[in-house]
Amino acid sequence: MSSTAAAGTIDHHHDPSTSTGIPNKKLLMWLFLASDCMFFGCLISTHLIYRLHPPPGTPSAKSVFSIELTSFSTFILLMSSLMMALAVNAIQKGNLKSLRVSLLTTIFFGCIFLGCQVFEFNNFVFEKHLTITNSILGTTFFTLTGTHGTHVAVGVLWLILMYVRSFQPQDLDKRRGWFLVNLVHVLALVVAILLGMNLVLGTTRALEATGLSAATLAHFASGAILRILGLLVALAVLIRLGRPAGPVAFNEGNAMDVEMMGLYWHFVDIVWIVIFTAVYLLEYI
Amino acid sequence: MSSSAAPAHGHDLEESKFQLFVQVAMLLAVITGLEIVTVYLPFAAWILVAALVIASAVKFMFVIFVFMHLKWDKPFCTILFFIGLILGGGTMFALLKIFSMQASLPLQ
Repeated sequence: MSSTAAAGTIDHHHDPSTSTGIPNKKLLMWLFLASDCMFFGCLISTHLIYRLHPPPGTPSAKSVFSIELTSFSTFILLMSSLMMALAVNAIQKGNLKSLRVSLLTTIFFGCIFLGCQVFEFNNFVFEKHLTITNSILGTTFFTLTGTHGTHVAVGVLWLILMYVRSFQPQDLDKRRGWFLVNLVHVLALVVAILLGMNLVLGTTRALEATGLSAATLAHFASGAILRILGLLVALAVLIRLGRPAGPVAFNEGNAMDVEMMGLYWHFVDIVWIVIFTAVYLLEYI
Repeated sequence: MSSSAAPAHGHDLEESKFQLFVQVAMLLAVITGLEIVTVYLPFAAWILVAALVIASAVKFMFVIFVFMHLKWDKPFCTILFFIGLILGGGTMFALLKIFSMQASLPLQ
């Protein structure tokens, strides 16, 4: 890999060509994150104000929340942050294989977090009858956690695009038609994620309803045969397109792009650190 | 420093960064576990709230300084982010204070 030879020669923290000494992309990202702090600050304080002064008839949050599920998703998001940090570390050293593994693991953890959130929202709406319109708790809770979930979903999409971008061929001749391959690669990843999440959530609901038994699983599998086949096809496409095919135009020089994405992903994590304490844990005191 | 020593130093730094990231992630997981245990402890509410706020602040700082590389970046990045953070935190504090006044309670 061409990038390996250059590993360790680029200073990733300073850029002498700008007046601030900070790469412009990084400066822009920090500005954006600073503004997002204010955005989430307003959403969190709105939720807290109505929790401190609940209107009559507001349901007890403690009876609605599931601390076990939220703790699990918090742990998963923390681990995704670790994998993202390792991905940035890998590309700074020019280690493309490690970067791709770390990115895929981060995507996987991000999807688990989103799956937990979908499961939680589903449970709140259909089991606990808490919707965005029927109480102020629902309004502030779904707005805050839904906005955060949207940030995570955008982060997952960005991760997918970066993963696929890391396969761009260096050879200009091979780049003809790469856009189409790129598109198929992104679509295969998105389809695999959506079908995977759908199947896992469906299995969980089936198990919740009737308990763990071979008959339940067989009944669920027979009803989801098309989705299972679709998932297998998407995974086969991903394995085929994920095989190394010659030198690529993605190396240590692209470390800044990965780092920007990493900053965004870690920011989503720190917002969740605050939400986990302010929205969930404080209800149990 | 000789020219051959520089890449070796860089390599050591990258290796130590890898270990640091793993150690910090483990520490964050432990703090999260402690936070969950904390809410079930039979102490006064203000002690538990203070403990949770401190724990989440520690986690927050570890993520921004280690995972987000503020520790190694120019101080201006830290200043920039903290401007947003202080404005956001200040807005939160002000809103909570305003709405705790009797005349400003949210409409029932």
